[in-house]
Amino acid sequence: MAKGGVTLKILSILVFSDVLETFTNFCFKKGALPASALQISNPAEAFVFVKTVLLSWFLWVGFLSVLATFIIWSTVLSKIDLSVAVPIASFSYILVPLASIFFLHEKITALRWAGIFFILAGVIFVSLSTKKNESPVR
Amino acid sequence: MKPSIFLIISLIVLTSICDTISQLFLKSAINSLEANINSIKKVFAFIIRLILVRRIWIGLIFSCLSLFVWLFVLSKADLNLAFSIDSMHYIFIAFASSLILKERVGLKRWLGTVLIVVGIALVTLSGL
Repeated sequence: MAKGGVTLKILSILVFSDVLETFTNFCFKKGALPASALQISNPAEAFVFVKTVLLSWFLWVGFLSVLATFIIWSTVLSKIDLSVAVPIASFSYILVPLASIFFLHEKITALRWAGIFFILAGVIFVSLSTKKNESPVR
Repeated sequence: MKPSIFLIISLIVLTSICDTISQLFLKSAINSLEANINSIKKVFAFIIRLILVRRIWIGLIFSCLSLFVWLFVLSKADLNLAFSIDSMHYIFIAFASSLILKERVGLKRWLGTVLIVVGIALVTLSGL
């Protein structure tokens, strides 16, 4: 079975799956917020935490989004290496900070932006490493 | 009330490890199937075959573990901070892919990984 490289089609599918993942994280964060005062230092408290979190609409929408992401992700993984798919899916490193500023009103300092920039540069290098290194045949 | 950054980091490491393990099981299960997907119909046929592979379910358990810890982290920390620290799973994926899935992880890929680690360090500093 021949493994392809990263085609434009695969790239756009990965970007879409990234948008989905950003959406999922946003949903889960919104779903987890009501439980922010809770501790989970024993099973009883853990149960309360889980119960509180499951009451949120956002969490269930997040689950649906996870399901969709799973289907898309598995399909893409049937075509490219794991160590290729994961870095390229890193588009969310830009999307998530932006979403958290706009939708969750979180603040990002200059130092954190610098860190995000380094992460992004690293991710680009990882993606660039894939073209020649892929095994042609599985 | 605010938990220490070190607790947050430890929990995110735990999440990353669980998630990496679940990805390994998923990719390994996918590798075991001959799949040539080029239509929506084939996507669903593939998914049905996929969920029948036992490995997937072990991966799912780790995925749930990872999610549970991640939800707890998100209830305590900024999303963008948690997400940036979570990027350490790149390192785990690179190691695991090369060791277990036998993927070729060359110099450029490792260099990229180091840059990611530096980025994570900066983000962590910004959270203190």
